Amino acid sequence: MSASRTTIARATRRLAPALLLLLLGTGCAQVRAYQRERLTDPIMSFDAVKKDAARRTHALDAREGSTGGNGGAGGGCACN
Amino acid sequence: MVLDDQTVDCLIQLFNDSDHVVVRSAIGNYETTMAHDSHFQMHWNNEQVTVPGIKAPPGSSEAVDAITTASRPISGGDAYSDYVKTRNEFQGGVTHGPAELQYYLSTEPDYLAQQVAANWNGDVRDDQTNLALGTSYGWDSIDPAVDDDTRQGHATKKTWHGNAVATRILTPGTILRFGLELNLVEGLQHNPYRNVYAGGTNVPERHPDHRSRRDLFLKLNQALPNRSSLKFSYRFYNDDWGIDSHELGATLSQYVTHGLFASWDYRWYTQTAADFWRAEYLSVTGVDGYLTGDYRMARLASHLFGVTLDADLAAFDVRTPVLGSMGVKGSWERYFNSNNYSANFVTAQVTYRF
Repeated sequence: MSASRTTIARATRRLAPALLLLLLGTGCAQVRAYQRERLTDPIMSFDAVKKDAARRTHALDAREGSTGGNGGAGGGCACN
Repeated sequence: MVLDDQTVDCLIQLFNDSDHVVVRSAIGNYETTMAHDSHFQMHWNNEQVTVPGIKAPPGSSEAVDAITTASRPISGGDAYSDYVKTRNEFQGGVTHGPAELQYYLSTEPDYLAQQVAANWNGDVRDDQTNLALGTSYGWDSIDPAVDDDTRQGHATKKTWHGNAVATRILTPGTILRFGLELNLVEGLQHNPYRNVYAGGTNVPERHPDHRSRRDLFLKLNQALPNRSSLKFSYRFYNDDWGIDSHELGATLSQYVTHGLFASWDYRWYTQTAADFWRAEYLSVTGVDGYLTGDYRMARLASHLFGVTLDADLAAFDVRTPVLGSMGVKGSWERYFNSNNYSANFVTAQVTYRF
């Protein structure tokens, strides 16, 4: 368990600064609710393609050596 | 209890690849809004997988790689016949305000996977940014079928996952998402049916029991004039087996007419090899006791092209109320990688809103 904790701590130390930089580096312009119509369009929304992305990740997990990219865990099955 | 805004979608996906593996997936999703800011969603998938017979005698060096990542046993006289298996998948989840709980189950004759997940998200910085945190724990039970040339008994696999994702509105037409994910995996992680040619003979594949996997991803969606959009994505992945990977993606979506849009998709991927991967093993002990015949552990590059047509029939002037509540979608994706492997994904989906 301590080895796992060390691994998590090491990975967090490596990746967290990059995430923090991105968070702080993004713009501060205020976009009001009535200006967000285009962002909810199916061709712009992240949610509209959530299931498609999860399905593709599941299929490519079985064909490539890496995983992730959707902010969620995939199933643990060993299928094709 | 009042159920509102119910949505049902049914989807058929057909997959076939250059190794003649065929998968038929019948998928259904149901979502509804309940009282007190709560939502319920359910997903099921019935999948039939056909893995072809091997092309060389069982146990021969030619047969070692005759089966790719699709799992199948070789026993008795059936090695040259197709092997067909069925997988059923169920997922249920409840969302209440910013919190979400999910349960996942996948069953197949030799594999049972279960998972519980919890997610939370909330808006910060004047509702310009959404922060999401998620975690899950999965436990798998593996009982390989009878196999003539490997001997793997009952095994387990446990997976812990954690993620943090931020989504930020940059302008009225630009939105950015980035996040990091961690996965810790303990237990059986190789194919119990696969042999590796090593030291002049065939020995069962063996991967390490522990794997620590992490990735960082970035997605940017940009609205363009004339009702179109361009989406970019990048992911960097790293694990303690020695695999580093980069993934780049781009999608161009364009409305053809009101309620109908087309998307063109491209994805490029590359990865380094695992530390214990070798094209040829000189000793039966492999590298530090590990051997693999899995091409996913090798250096690899791949491309994926896709096209999608998505129609919301409510936007058309249909006179039938049933059609007016429906959406239809079709897609085709072509995948190929540097191991002379290629595959097609064809998907057809119908959505109905109550």
